[in-house]
Formats: sequence, structure tokens, C-alpha cells
Amino acid sequence: MAERKPIKGITTEKTEKLIADTLAEMPEKTQKKRAPHLGANEPSASPCAVKSNKKVVPGVMSQRGCAYAGAKGVVWGPIRDMVHVSHGPVGCGVYSWGTRRNLMQGIPGVTSFPMDFTSDFQERDIVYGGDLKLEKLLREADELFPLNKGLSVLSECPVGLIGDDINAVAKKMENELGKLVVPCNCEGFRGVSQSLGHHISNDSIRDHIIGKFEFKEEPGPYDVALIGDYNIGGDVWAAKPILEEIGLNVKSVWTGDGEVEKIGATHSVKLNLIHCYRSMNYMCKVMEEKWGIPWLEYNFFGPTKIEESLRAIGECFDDKIRKNVEKVIRKYKPVMQAVVDEYKPRLDGKTAMLFVGGLRPRHTIGAYEDLGIQITGAGYEFAHQDDYDRTAPEMAKGTLIYDDVSEFELEKFVEELKPDLVGSGIKEKYVFQKAGIPFRQMHSWDYSGPYHGYEGFKIFARDIDMAINSPTWDLVKAPF
Amino acid sequence: MAEKKLRQIAIYGKGGIGKSTTTQNTVAGLASLGKRVLIIGCDPKADSTRLILHAKAQTTVMDKVRELGTVEDLELEDVCKRGYGDIMCVESGGPEPGVGCAGRGVITAINFLEEEGAYTPDLDYVFYDVLGDVVCGGFAMPIRENKAQEIYIVVSGEMMAMYAANNICKGIVKYAASGSVRLAGLICNSRNTDREADLIEALAKRLGTQMIHFVPRDNQVQRAELRRMTVIEYSPEHKQAQEYRELARKIAENEMFVIPTPLEMEDLEELLMEFGIMEADDESIIGVAENA
Amino acid sequence: MSAVAAVKFVTETPPEEIERVKAWINSEEYKEKNFARTALVVNPAHACQPLGAQMVATGFEGALPFIHGSQGCASYFRSTFSRHYREPAAATCDAMTEDGAVFGGQNNLFEGLENAYALYKPKMIPIFTTCMPEVIGDDLTAFTRNAKLQGFIPEDLPTPYANTPSFNGTHIHGYDSMLLSILQTLTDGQKVEGKCTGKLNIIPGFDGNVGNLREYKRILELMGIPYTMLADVSDVFDSGCDGEYKLYPGGTRMEDAAESINGKATLSLQKYSTVTTMKWIESEYDGEKAILPMPFGVKKTDELLLKLSELFDKPIPTELKAERARAVDAMTDAHQYLHGRKFAIAGDPDYLLGIVSFLLEMGARPWHVLCSRATKKFQKEMDALLASSPFGEGCTCYINKDLWHMRSLLVTDPVDGIIGDTHAKWAARDARIPLFRIGFPIIDRVNLHRTPVVGYTGAISMLTMLANKFLDIKDETCEDQWFEMMR
Repeated sequence: MAERKPIKGITTEKTEKLIADTLAEMPEKTQKKRAPHLGANEPSASPCAVKSNKKVVPGVMSQRGCAYAGAKGVVWGPIRDMVHVSHGPVGCGVYSWGTRRNLMQGIPGVTSFPMDFTSDFQERDIVYGGDLKLEKLLREADELFPLNKGLSVLSECPVGLIGDDINAVAKKMENELGKLVVPCNCEGFRGVSQSLGHHISNDSIRDHIIGKFEFKEEPGPYDVALIGDYNIGGDVWAAKPILEEIGLNVKSVWTGDGEVEKIGATHSVKLNLIHCYRSMNYMCKVMEEKWGIPWLEYNFFGPTKIEESLRAIGECFDDKIRKNVEKVIRKYKPVMQAVVDEYKPRLDGKTAMLFVGGLRPRHTIGAYEDLGIQITGAGYEFAHQDDYDRTAPEMAKGTLIYDDVSEFELEKFVEELKPDLVGSGIKEKYVFQKAGIPFRQMHSWDYSGPYHGYEGFKIFARDIDMAINSPTWDLVKAPF
Repeated sequence: MAEKKLRQIAIYGKGGIGKSTTTQNTVAGLASLGKRVLIIGCDPKADSTRLILHAKAQTTVMDKVRELGTVEDLELEDVCKRGYGDIMCVESGGPEPGVGCAGRGVITAINFLEEEGAYTPDLDYVFYDVLGDVVCGGFAMPIRENKAQEIYIVVSGEMMAMYAANNICKGIVKYAASGSVRLAGLICNSRNTDREADLIEALAKRLGTQMIHFVPRDNQVQRAELRRMTVIEYSPEHKQAQEYRELARKIAENEMFVIPTPLEMEDLEELLMEFGIMEADDESIIGVAENA
Repeated sequence: MSAVAAVKFVTETPPEEIERVKAWINSEEYKEKNFARTALVVNPAHACQPLGAQMVATGFEGALPFIHGSQGCASYFRSTFSRHYREPAAATCDAMTEDGAVFGGQNNLFEGLENAYALYKPKMIPIFTTCMPEVIGDDLTAFTRNAKLQGFIPEDLPTPYANTPSFNGTHIHGYDSMLLSILQTLTDGQKVEGKCTGKLNIIPGFDGNVGNLREYKRILELMGIPYTMLADVSDVFDSGCDGEYKLYPGGTRMEDAAESINGKATLSLQKYSTVTTMKWIESEYDGEKAILPMPFGVKKTDELLLKLSELFDKPIPTELKAERARAVDAMTDAHQYLHGRKFAIAGDPDYLLGIVSFLLEMGARPWHVLCSRATKKFQKEMDALLASSPFGEGCTCYINKDLWHMRSLLVTDPVDGIIGDTHAKWAARDARIPLFRIGFPIIDRVNLHRTPVVGYTGAISMLTMLANKFLDIKDETCEDQWFEMMR
């Protein structure tokens, strides 16, 4: 892949100076801790020099969440036909109820459960332990929501601290109810970010779900699974049709709009297509080792990356699929060109800075570039080294890379680099909008979407144009 | 008239050392001297008040919380009972061993008592009878700022009891650094071991404190306990009752409050060896099996 | 062997089974089962203590809320406020992890305070806790003192703290504890016998509507009463966009908070979210103290004005008299659209009492009142309020019930409208009953947090919202022959 052209005004020296100036304002110990997490990009460097997946520095105002958030919010919550129990005090379940936009089909409360189930721990549950309550609760949940295909138990901090044994309860109740009851020890104090929650959840899928089911129909040569697409703003519904159009048979989706039994039967597919590498690479590796299923990363953001990805997918199959791929690419080319023609004139030459979870900064770069926008800074909340290694080549030399950036740092960086758009999360949004900088939430698609696939790019382009070119920004400075 | 100063006292000590018995007899002694006392049992076993109340087990704060579902609907009179000598009694309660978090039960109970005004102005003393050792933050609740400022450790001449006492002192040092909690003395609850009084005197000295009283072993205590009574109430004339009254008087008059100087393990062992409680290690036999 | 250990086939639930359950969950039988559950909570209408603590901590100028505990909690609170207000919600955290769980969180607190102070230069760091340090029993008095002794933060930096375990009470209790601690800290040593600032201390309570806070201030200004609003989040959670982000855009000034102990009077407008604070103020503050219900509707607003007038010996100004008359005019004009309409209401205790009071004034009928965590005292007070009007007859107040219980009530015993926060939208949709968003959080509509629902003007706003929605529904759903020009 060709290295990106340098961005005007961005040099390694300037970026390094910006980092040094920012660090200079911190206590010495904190400078030492933070310095390895900030760097000027070197596209050819492998591994990427920026360090990641370390503990949050106390007091700096990190944007990170916790293992529970990674488990309940990211991996489990989107499985639509399971009852997901937030086990512990009331808060975690309430705050994560409906706030990720993992949309799902089904009838709420009947066949799908986009709700908040919690054991709402009280003092007595902490002191006496919550195992008996959990047992009772699972029984009640199964009685009141009989069409559930399983129940997950997601433990919150206190459950781990008081030493409750949710695994024993889950085992007992699985026997009693004759349904999947999956314990997930994702207490928020474990690990350094959401990332451990993803990993723990992958492990519980490995131990409790995968291989437990089989599809009734015989396996076919074009059976694939979509891994790590959580259907934010309907992304799955924009990505799946493309795969079907090239002749693939999407047998299960992990876990956006997901069905647990299909997830449990995924070991029969021919190829796993992984979107969010960060949160689900673990299970792809498990399925590769145990069942010999190859896996392939793909990127459906923006026409350039969609085409690249479709061709790479085609290479895993026969001529029939490869021909379909070319047909599909031809079909959408003019449609995508029309989108670019409409928006690029207003966006060409603009810059953006991104800070999202573990995947999107690198994955969306292509889509921004399709619209003529260059990325001057990118970073992740909870990525690991392999994510940064995948990012460095996608960014121009000297651009800014920041890991687990604090509000203090990001504000300084944005102030200096003056991007035309910041793409990040809800906690960052209004900080930058107050400063008159256009912003889009890149976790939730800012209540819009889908952004995946051909359908998604139309909406993405519209939204980015809307954000950057809204006339409301002209009103920020008063004439008096 | 000067306002009565409430003294808050925590009694710690190894499990099984006779802490609850000593506390209740001492408190009964104070009551017999006309003092107003509140006992708060901070042990899930909930046996800190039964000799005062003549009850098998008092309804604990946590029992009640479990029953009602929330602390907010709990009333003070549900869990605060009056016993011998107008001593007020509360048990924090908690789980069976192996489940839940007993330490949190102590926090819950003390918070509740403070909020509900259990510490009435007429009280002279609050006694916290605390489980074995400072095992987690919850069991240190009674010695936090604005709570107990005097700690007595119940100890005997047995090795493990002295280990525990030394460990408790380590806990006290941590809290004393930022607050006003102090060690007020060791209470020796005799197990009739050799040179017991001397040993505890020596230990007290090394810890920078005093052996405030030596309570001799006497079966009268058990006889009273069978009737769920303190010796003070069961046989006020008995010499053992006199011992507890003496202990109570000493506590009332005590002015020796120190930040303890806990011993290093080697020093403690040395002391034990000095008194023949422990033998010097024979390095040649360590790790060698019988038939090797 | 486990029942699910054997490999099973992927199944599809038969459509007739889906239809059966779909009908069943709307039945009386289901309602009974639903109300019989004792362990499971589904869709609760309350959040946890530290959220309320953060609201208070945000309401003081230059204060940086500091969360002692797990970092995920901090992210949840900040996100929740940002979604509701569409504003930044700065707060920092000392990110305790597994080692903290075992060894206690003192080192995290030290480092966290040092960084927070160095980077964000706060005038005060109010500290509150998540579950984690509460379970392991961290001692914040000792920790914060040690942090100062060891020089991580200056000795004179106020660091009030509140224990806010999530497994006890709700967000309103966290509000109460944090407010108490901040006031105790800031007023320490400030009491001067005989000194009176002449000002009113007003405590709005946990209120996600900044419009309400501004309305209180407007009323006080109209009455010419000098005041200090304690925990005033109005400028923080409703700050302007002028091209410059301000970390500390407003809040109660520290000096004013410190002086509040010498005030002429102190008034809480939310009884249930200020219980311990008001108890302490009662014994420590100078001047008169009063706890009034939230001024929803005319009568409760009258009560507020009369109290203010009495406390400060000020007449009620013509302008407010005119406002009252306009509100009553609007209410008499529109009574026909609300009279006899049944409502289900879910929310916090003080909000519920206020809303019910307004509905009774309109001749509307509160029908299901639900508070997902409350005491029996609250239930008694609500029952008494309902009993005070013939329009309260037949209404049931449910405490410690959740929004899934509410759903059962709505489908088996329907009402005309639901009042609650965004979380009620699922039940409202299932029951096909319009939801009027009043409460916290509102994360799916814009600007409702800016439109006051208290005072005479608030009464008009509420009335407008309710009545027009019913008229919209009529226009949208009536058959052609019933569609007409006037309503």
C-alpha cells in the first residue's frame, strides 16, 4: 500500500513539540506514564511506537469505560434473544440501557429484550451475598420472558468483591431451566478498560455457547459469519445485504441483532469475516484453532475500502463469487460516485481528528478520504499494540497518535491542530462544540446511521457534510 | 456543668479469646458504677450482647435490613434493646462464613446508628466488640475518625493470641497516623499459661502500652454464661465479679493512650522464646520427613 | 450431564407461540405474575447515588467532581449528564483496579488528586465513591487528610467527600450526602453570631431541568429577595456556545456557599433529596428554615410565594400576581382538555408529588403513580395528597416497583397519558399511550431540560404540552367525518 502524502502543516517535529509542550504541564510521574502513549506517526514503523493497553492514570479524566461496559454494552447486549442480567447495584444497568444503539429486530419483551434486567443490589445483598437472589431472579426472568433463548449474568464490581459464585448458580440454573445460562465475570474493576470485558465475554462464549448448536440445514460452501459488527445504527442491515449480493450465506452475526443459537452453531461456517478486530479476534482465533475456520478482517466504510474488502473476500472463494464481487462493485460505482460528487466539493481539503474505541479510527479513515478529508490525529480508548500497528500505515507521516487520551491532552491537541471536525464520543462532543468545532459522535453515529456499506456511506457523507457545513457554526461569534 | 464526654472504645482480639465475654462483663461493671453504655457488636456471630440481654441472639441490624429490604424503613427501636443496668445493645449481624461481605455489614450498621441518633447525649461509653482481627476495611470502621478513639486488645499468653494482638497494633498504627485513635492497653484474659502475666506485661511494654488488667481464669464465668448472664449480674459478690469491676474502674480512669510500636516478626518470636512459649528453630530438621 | 450440554439444533420460535406470549404479557394473569416477582428488577426508574453526588459537585464554581472507585462508573455518569443536557460533564476519577480492591484505594486517591489538581486547577475537589471502595471499606477521612499531609494537594483545598454506595438509596440520596458534605466543609468556621447576610439560601434538589432553576431565580429577583442558590448547575449544565470551552462555566460561588450559614433563611424545594442536609442545616444554620414541595401548579407556587413573602417581609409583586392570573386563565380555558384524563406518572418522590398536585388542580386523574425506590413515608404522603382531592380517588401509589410493572398496569388498566423520563418510552409505546417527558434523564428530545415546569409559567408550559398533544392525537387519528377546523 502506498504511503500517504504528507499533510500540509503537519511535520514530525511540530507534532513532537506539541506532545512535549502538553506533557510539560503534568506532574513528573504522570509525564513519564503518559509519554509512551503519545507520538508522531511513522507509517513504516512496525511495531507502532505508541504504547497501549495500560492502566488509566488516576485523575487525568480519561474517557475509558470498564470491563462490564465491554461485556454488557459491547458483546452481550446486542444478542437480541437473550435476557442479559446486570448483576449488582442498579446503576450500571440503567446507564447502559439503550445507550449504545445496537438496534435489534423482534418484539420487545417477547422475542427480543432491549431492556434493563438487574438484581438491584441492596446493602443486604452485599452483606449476605447475592447468589440466592440470582437464582430466584433467573427463575423469575425465565417465567416472565419464556421465549428467551438463554440468559447471561454480567457481574458488576461488588459481586466480585464479596466473592459470590455466579458460575455455580449459572450451572445449577442451566440444568433447572434447560436453557443457556451464561456467567460472565466482568466486574468493572478488572483490567484497564472495556477491552478486558470483550475478552472475558469471548471466553464465556467459547466455554458456554459455541459448539452447543447446529444448523438444521447442511453446511454450504458459501457459509460465512459476520463477526464483530454490533449493528450500531443498523450497520449490520447495511453490511449483510452486500455479502448476500455477492452470493455468500451469512449464517450468524456476532453479535449485532444476533441470535444466540446461531452464534452457537457458527463453528460450521467456511469463513469468519471480522469487522471489529479488537473486540472479537479472540473468538476468531479459537474457531480457527478448534475447527480450522479461517478468518478475514474487512472494512465496509466508504467505497474504496468496501471494494478492497470485497475483492479480498472474493479471493477466499471461487470464481462465481469473484465474478459477483466485480458485478456488485460495478453496480454501486456510479451510486457512490454520485455521493462523492455531491459532497466532496464542500469537504475537500478539510481535516479531522478521531478518538474512538478500538477499531473505528483506522477503519473510517478511508471513508473520510473518499470525501477528501484528511486525518491529522487518531487514537483509541482501549486498543492494543496490534491495533496501532494496523493504524500507522493508514495515517500520514507526522500525524498525531494518542492512546487513552485525557480530556486535557485532547483539548490541547485540537486547539493546536485546529481540525475542521472532531469525531469521538458523547463525553467529548460538547467540549469541542462549545469551542465552535464541528463534531460527530463516532461511537453512536450521533443518533444516525447506518454508516457501513454502500447504504451507510450515503448517510455518512451527508452527516459529515452537515456537521462541517452547518450554518449554525457561523453564529458562534457574536457581532458585539 | 461541663458536657459529658462520650468515650468510644473498641475491643479487638483473636477469635475465641473471650472478647465478647470480657466486653460484656466489663460493660456490666461500668454499668454497676452508674455509667450509661451502648454496646455495638461488630461480629456476624452476633454474640456480643446476649449476656446483657439474657437472649440467645438479638435481632441484628442486618437481619432487619434483610427482612425489610432497605435500611430506610428500619427503625432504631427494632434493633436497639435495653438490657441489664440499662445497657443499650445493638448487633450489626451479617452472613454465615463464606458468603457475602461481613465487613460491609459493620459499615451499614454503624452508619444507620449514627443517622438514627443512637448515640444519645446521656451515654458515657460506646463499646464496639469487633471480630477477631482487622481483616478488611469494614472491620476497621469502628476506629475511623470520630468513632472509637481507644482500643483495648484482649489477649492471653498463647502464641496465636499474641500474634493477633501484634497484627492489630499494625492496623492501629495505620489509622493513628491520620486520626486520633490510640491503643489504650492489653487486657489479659488468662488461659493459665506459664508466666502469663509477666509475658503480657513484657509484650505490652514492647508495644509501648500497658497490661491494663489481668483477668484470672474462673469457672464462675461459665456458670454465669449458662444462665446467659454476666458474672456481675449473676453473682455480684463473687471475686471474679470484683475482677471485672476492677477492670472497668481502670478503664474509666485510664489516661494512657499511645500509638503502638508493633514488633517485627523476629522480635516477637524472640520474646516468645524468651518466655519459653516457642523453641528456637532447629534448622537441621526443617522440611525433613519422618522416614527420610 | 447438563441439560444443554448435548448439541441442539438452532430453532425458530413458532409464530403462534410468539402470538400467544405477545397476548399473554398484556393479560391480567401476567400482571399478577409480574407483581409477584421479588428478586428480578426490570427497567428500573432510578439511578445510583454517585450520579446525584456528581450533580451537586458540578453545581459549585470551580469544583471538579472526583470519583473514588472504578473508572467505568465515572464514564457512565458523565455520559448520562451529557446525553441529558447536551453539555460537557467534567469529572475525574482515580481509576481503581484489582490491586485497589485488595489493598484499598489510598494510592489511587493520592495520584488522582495530584493530577486532577495539576491539570484542571479546581478551587474544590468534591469526592464521592462508587461501590468498590464502599464494599472494601476505604476510609476517605483518613485518605484525604493523608493526601494533604503528604503534599499531593494543598492543605487549604476543600475536599469534601460523600460515601455514595450504589447499593443503597438512589441518585437523590447521593445528592443529599454530597450537598451536606460540601456545605459542612465550606461553612466550617464561617458562622458569625449575629451576622446576617440578609440572603435566602435556596436548594433546588436533584432537578434535571435547568429551566426550573432559572425560574426560581427569576421569581426571587422579581420579589427583590437576595439569594444564594446552593448547588446551582444552571450555568454549568446550560452554558452558552461562544467559541470558547470553559471547564468551569458557573455554579454557586465558594464565598456565597461559605456565607450561607449566616443567611437570613434557608429553603429546600425538594424534601426527599435534602433530608440529611436540611436536618443538619436546621441545627447549624442561622435564620429560618423551610422545606416546601416543588412548586408545580398554582397552589404549590402560591405556597412558595407566601413563604417567601413571610420570610422576607416582602409583598408579592404585581408582576407575579399577573402571572398567576394568566396561569389560572390558561388553566380555566383549557380545563376541558384535561378534566378526567387519567395519567400514569413515574419518577422521583418530589417530582411525583409536584406533578400529581398539578394534575389534581386541573381536574385530571392521577391513576398509577410509581416510584421505583421510595420509603413508606413517601407513600403515605402521596396517599394523603391523593385523598385531598376527589380527583385523586382510585389512584394507586406503587413504591419499589419498576417500569415493567408500570407496563403491566398500562396494558391492563389504561390511561390517557404517561408522565416520566425517557425510560418510560418503551412501556408507553407498547401501551400506545403518549409519553410526556418530565424528569431525568430525557435523552431523546431536545431542550425539554430548558423549559421550566415549575412556577406559574411552568404550569402553562405543562398544560400546553399535555393539552395540545391530546388535540394532535385527535386530529391524527379521527376518521374524516370527525376532522374539523376547531378544537
